[in-house]
Amino acid sequence: MLRSVGSGALFLLLIMAVPALAHEGSGTGGFIGGFSHPLLGPDHIVAMVAVGLWGTFLGAPAIWILPIVFPLVMAGGGVLGILGLGLPGVEIGIAVSAIALGLMVALAARPPIWIAAVVVGAFAIFHGHAHGAELPPGSDAVAFSLGFVMATGLLHLTGISFGFLARWPVGRVAVRIAGVVIAVVGAAFLSKAV
Amino acid sequence: MSRLLQAFAEGLVNPALVPAHTLALCGLGLFVGQQSSRALPVLSLAAGLAGGLTAIALAVGPTPSRIVLLADAALIGGLVASAWAPPRPVGWLLAAIAGAALALDSPPQAATIAQGNAMLLGTGLGACVLLVVVSAGAALATRRWQQLGVRIVGSWIAASALLVLALLLR
Repeated sequence: MLRSVGSGALFLLLIMAVPALAHEGSGTGGFIGGFSHPLLGPDHIVAMVAVGLWGTFLGAPAIWILPIVFPLVMAGGGVLGILGLGLPGVEIGIAVSAIALGLMVALAARPPIWIAAVVVGAFAIFHGHAHGAELPPGSDAVAFSLGFVMATGLLHLTGISFGFLARWPVGRVAVRIAGVVIAVVGAAFLSKAV
Repeated sequence: MSRLLQAFAEGLVNPALVPAHTLALCGLGLFVGQQSSRALPVLSLAAGLAGGLTAIALAVGPTPSRIVLLADAALIGGLVASAWAPPRPVGWLLAAIAGAALALDSPPQAATIAQGNAMLLGTGLGACVLLVVVSAGAALATRRWQQLGVRIVGSWIAASALLVLALLLR
């Protein structure tokens, strides 16, 4: 338990040492640029992992519906960003997503599937908008978008994999602590965003 | 002769090297792999390719083929993600549209007409081979987690195609 808390605190310190929020643009195109894009945004990482973690608490069918539906809804948000349709408070929305999803995991919340889908879907729009606004024009846009969609999906799968620890009592505590850490990280990002 | 073969080989690998084409063909392959009847969608793609490549050979002007291809890929990816089997003619139509759009989006850059035609032939064959390979792989996904994996990849394809489509239409 202490080790988990210590690891979480260290992770938190590392996250807070990052000078600015995510979605600054990777500066490179192509698949690698797109794949690395979500991985360069700690706020995006924790929220996506939280989606996977929450999926394991929600159980079937959420555990497999979320990784399928999330990229599609995120693409909807991305389309808004690409078309230049403004979405107020994108960075705040992303930070709040980490807080809310982290709390859901920490509390092991199991609302009806449609409520979970609405919550996750709403946050997916913010994440998609942030990425879509930075999609590079040109011939490698397909590879870039596929890269970042895949990276996001793999972050979900990482969360789901870690969430399987919840099958054991000790693992369940570890997963819930991870939820607390994610929520605290989200709060740190929120304080910077506002 | 060697230049013709080289042009044919360049055309052959073209569908695997152009991300939009690969995306559309992989999405279609997953879709076909999910269906019980697989031969006719492949033939539909071949027919679409033949029509599109003939149009290219006849020097048809610029077309919105990339937009059509990505819209088709987004639709097909959505079908894969939903694991819904539409009426069979819908699948044939989507495959034919993908073939025609892919062909029209592959104008050859060759020195001679013969090399251009060889490149077009290679592109058509390469697209069919890629479709058959991906659909055969998807058809092997019989376990539950494998089928879920196919659906997840379908959602990735749909999402990526939607984003690039928006970028092109902006």
